[in-house]
Amino acid sequence: MQAFVNAHDWVWAVCQIIHFVGLSLIVGIVGTLDLRILGLFKSIPIAALRPLVPWAFVGFIGNLLTGIVFVTGKLQGPGYYTDNLSFRLKMLFVLLAFANLLIFQISGLEVRVYATPAGGTAPAAAKLVSVFSLVAWVLVIFFGRIMQYNDSLLMFLGL
Amino acid sequence: MGLNQGVLAAVFDYLQDLGLANWVRSSPSLFAYPAVLTGHALGLAIVVGINTLIALRLLGVAQAIPLAALRRLYGMVWIGFLINLMSGLLLFIAEAHTMAGMVAFWGKMTFVALGMIVAELLKRFYFADVASVEAGVVTSVGRNLAIISLACWYIALILGRLTAYPDMVNGWLHLSGRGS
Repeated sequence: MQAFVNAHDWVWAVCQIIHFVGLSLIVGIVGTLDLRILGLFKSIPIAALRPLVPWAFVGFIGNLLTGIVFVTGKLQGPGYYTDNLSFRLKMLFVLLAFANLLIFQISGLEVRVYATPAGGTAPAAAKLVSVFSLVAWVLVIFFGRIMQYNDSLLMFLGL
Repeated sequence: MGLNQGVLAAVFDYLQDLGLANWVRSSPSLFAYPAVLTGHALGLAIVVGINTLIALRLLGVAQAIPLAALRRLYGMVWIGFLINLMSGLLLFIAEAHTMAGMVAFWGKMTFVALGMIVAELLKRFYFADVASVEAGVVTSVGRNLAIISLACWYIALILGRLTAYPDMVNGWLHLSGRGS
């Protein structure tokens, strides 16, 4: 993988483009769903947004695959990422976002949320899940974007 | 590029020498380049993501979303756009000469402007058509503008990403080593 990525400069650039498309799909769709659960755009019945969720999933899978290309293809070796605090925190918040999604499904909140009609208010517990989701995805973008500036993060944290 | 010479070059020099530009470019603070770059990625995700959602609906996905409600999402598009206008200005003044010398950068600016114009056209020539919107009908004007909107935003995204790889782009364009 490393040899292939470094033999063709377009591979990295194309994977970066796919990674940004994926993050746009996740933020646009999951973010809109979260904001609706929080009470914005009330004229949309929440269940109407459901057919868009697979598009966010496709974005996520694209980002998982291109992310694997970045880590395994980095010229300096995978340690460039795996030893980087920003990268580790990004992965932590991706996992937390998924744990949040699992709680949303297993607790039965998802069923109740999708039963909310146009103009209706989602359960308070679902609002908590949505706030957590929004915060988690923003932090995923933040830590993803600052990996190259890891020293600034370490300085900020006093490490 | 001619844009990077003469009077404009003096303007770019002036911008790049501003204290604010210097701070964004060289401060080790997390709130300088890293935070501005994060804002720009978040704004991009909002603008491209919401415009994609609107276009998907107009092209037949998630048809249970009331069209009149869809129009309300443009407020989010504007929030994302303003985040990126401000963060983008900071990123531009920090590297004015480098950015102004890139074909990909000016191409991106063109498609961002076109994307916002198409969003406005959708509002005026499709969403303003109350009869169709209330009846849940997507007219051919709505469908065509949705396709053009998707094209503008994804071309803008691709060109924006390519500004990070000036040497590669110049290689494609057969321009000699102008990059970073």
